Amino acid sequence: MLIVQQILNGIMLGGIYVGVAVAFTLTIGILNFLNFTIPVLFMLSGMIGWSLSFYGLPFGLSEPLGWLPSLGIGIICAILASLVVERFTYRYFKAKHGDATEHAIPLVSSLGFLLIFEYMVLIAHGSDPRGFHTPFGDLDLRFAGLVISIPQILSLVVSLAIVAGLSMLLRRTQLGRALRATAENPDAAVLMGIEVNRIVPVVFVLTGLLCGLAGALFAVNYGEVSPYMGDQVGTKAIAGMVIGGLGSVWGAIAGGLIVGLTETLSIHFFGATSAQITVWGLLLVLLLFRPKGLFGHNAIGKGKF
Amino acid sequence: MPEPILRLEAVGKHFGGVVVLEDVSFDVRAGSRHALIGPNGAGKTTLFNVISGVFPPDEGRVLLDGLDLAGVPSRRRIGMGMARSFQNIRLMPHLSVVENVMLGQHARPGLLRKLKPVGLLPKSRERDEALEVLDRFGLDAYRGQVVANLPYGIRKKIEVVRALMAEPRLLLLDEPAAGLNSTETAALRDFLMEVSARGVTLLVVEHDMPFVNSLCEHVTVMNFGRRIYDGPAAGAREDEAVLDAYLGTHHKKGASDAA
Amino acid sequence: MSGYMAGVLAILGINVIFAYGIYLTAAAGQLNLGGAGFQAIGAYAAAILSVELGFGIVSTIVLATLAGALIGFLIAFPILRTRGVYMVLATFAFAEVVVGIILNSDTLGGAMGMIMFDYIETPAVLWTAAGVVAFVFYLMSTPIGLAMRAVHDDEPVADLMGVNNRAIQVAAFASGGALAGLSGALYAFYFGFVEVQYFNAFLSIFVLLYVLIGGTQTAWGPLIGAAFFTLIPEALRIGEDWRFLIFGVLIVLMMIVRPEGIVTRDAIDRIVARLMPGDRRA
Repeated sequence: MLIVQQILNGIMLGGIYVGVAVAFTLTIGILNFLNFTIPVLFMLSGMIGWSLSFYGLPFGLSEPLGWLPSLGIGIICAILASLVVERFTYRYFKAKHGDATEHAIPLVSSLGFLLIFEYMVLIAHGSDPRGFHTPFGDLDLRFAGLVISIPQILSLVVSLAIVAGLSMLLRRTQLGRALRATAENPDAAVLMGIEVNRIVPVVFVLTGLLCGLAGALFAVNYGEVSPYMGDQVGTKAIAGMVIGGLGSVWGAIAGGLIVGLTETLSIHFFGATSAQITVWGLLLVLLLFRPKGLFGHNAIGKGKF
Repeated sequence: MPEPILRLEAVGKHFGGVVVLEDVSFDVRAGSRHALIGPNGAGKTTLFNVISGVFPPDEGRVLLDGLDLAGVPSRRRIGMGMARSFQNIRLMPHLSVVENVMLGQHARPGLLRKLKPVGLLPKSRERDEALEVLDRFGLDAYRGQVVANLPYGIRKKIEVVRALMAEPRLLLLDEPAAGLNSTETAALRDFLMEVSARGVTLLVVEHDMPFVNSLCEHVTVMNFGRRIYDGPAAGAREDEAVLDAYLGTHHKKGASDAA
Repeated sequence: MSGYMAGVLAILGINVIFAYGIYLTAAAGQLNLGGAGFQAIGAYAAAILSVELGFGIVSTIVLATLAGALIGFLIAFPILRTRGVYMVLATFAFAEVVVGIILNSDTLGGAMGMIMFDYIETPAVLWTAAGVVAFVFYLMSTPIGLAMRAVHDDEPVADLMGVNNRAIQVAAFASGGALAGLSGALYAFYFGFVEVQYFNAFLSIFVLLYVLIGGTQTAWGPLIGAAFFTLIPEALRIGEDWRFLIFGVLIVLMMIVRPEGIVTRDAIDRIVARLMPGDRRA
């Protein structure tokens, strides 16, 4: 029974990774851009949510807010931050001249933003983890000897619902078709009358939304946030994205869950620090021997840097 | 008749189901100026890629000096005396003109030579040689510049000079005159005549027929991946199959000089 | 030289050597986001050789450098199967696995780290760094260096020019691994201890940034990049957190105004032309 419990925990943990992994896979798939600000967008929503629920709005504008509006504003802040990144990062992606270093420009620039956002939060709030309180902090569902916390189920359901919605958006709507056409071939998309310049911010809004939501769910789930919360989750989400295959939304979901499972089971069987080897070792082996992952296309991300 | 420097024997190549080259055979005589012409999509660039080893032929053989090149990696062929230029100029964008030209020396033998700090020495045989060739072809003024900023015609010439630095006996040129104006084309012809006079065999893919006629004495014509004519340049203008290929089956008499 | 200055200069020397390790692969067109892994290999090799096996300082540093070269050589073959984003991620994953192995090994001290018995001083670090700078400048000036830059610019054409792309790329990884390993060994001996937490993802990111911000077109890039980002924060004399914030802002600004790095070939040409108006060599 213990092992079933571990598997359940792994899936729940994977649920957190899913949103972030999907954000990574969207920017890679549509823009061919490895966006390193994604982990801090995740962290921003959690930390801003905590800050609002602890201090209230800045400059003493309000009393501490409730947990739900706090996280809502946190998510909006993550989206705004993502748009700031678009304005100063992706814009220069367009000026490609077929050069290795030039293709790395948005990647390097996003690493700059990673530092900016992370250290802004560190300067404002210090590096200590902070407790985040929600009404269902210790509401557990017990069933046949298994324990599942309500927030865990909530977060898994919300994650999957968002991704399912996103997948619908990509498949069914005009916007989704434009996004997919841009992913296939940006030049052809322009010829087809798609305004790529308008599509790009949409990707960044989605990125901010997905990361913000994942950050909010993390806060609810674990009842704790910290300026470093994005680092581990972000890198694990990258692993999940690669395992699923770059550019594949469903792959990112499967990959996120696989990483969650691998991590929990590895900790269960080999001890607390072993997940570092199993998750990254799995990723490394996959990259070397099946680089397109479980569901990915061969073409994505192969372009020279 | 001397041994041909390059011999193609029934070369065939297909990509998936599309046959790009079929049963292509011809010889390139040592020291000749040989043109390879044909309408767009005839398979000329594919043939160049097969000869230079970018990909292997599916059928047939490519022989350099009577030696079968099957299994010889593309990077070894330049050292065997065969260098090429590209249809779209492929100079290294971040190297200066001299450095691009000196890259042409890479295939020469000698490991020790590769450890010589040429870039730090104020004077070296390698640099002097590159500068001398640039000077001879009137490119001296551009030697220190990064190639990305240079005019098209200049870059075309530099690409040929780079290939020459490998001291090839056979030079494959893929549309060297494309995009050049008439003055530049004339200059390029004189330049290639000079190269030829030094004993280098030229195999030239080209669309510009006046250029071909003034440069080459021998012509191979291709259409739909097949060789349809191989012989003296003058003969191609009279050949029925060639006229068909360029003008369609219902060509009128008297339009033959268009070929 | 004050103790503070000596400390800053030693860090600068270690960072410069480390940056050149990443530069060698970048100059040949590969991005290595696993620098921390290679540096950790050098640092822990030094710790094992010196503390456990009793080797002298010089032989330890030499062997740790060779360990970095060997791992770089071996990992190059699988890594070179990947391209673009995949290579960035594969090198990143490699570093994480290295750290994970150290973290789980009792012999290597796990999360506790290892204490060194021997020490080196700043001048030793700086002389080594000077040697490395000289070596890379020499290497980049040879036909091999030219071939590396050709591989960076256009692999298929480099191949047709007779360059053995695979050999160049493997050699770049091996020599890059050697320099990163060397910087790790120097780090271990200078600071007197190694702890795995130091070799985290941010370290890999920082060192790649030194190289890309400095510019990959000439051998000046990593030197300027590492110096810029080691010395500027020291000069500003501000809190640790503010340094990294300013570092981030500088990176974003740099990518906007000088995306090819601080030092480009054009810039060098212009400086040379100004200093030596008569000299027209490239």
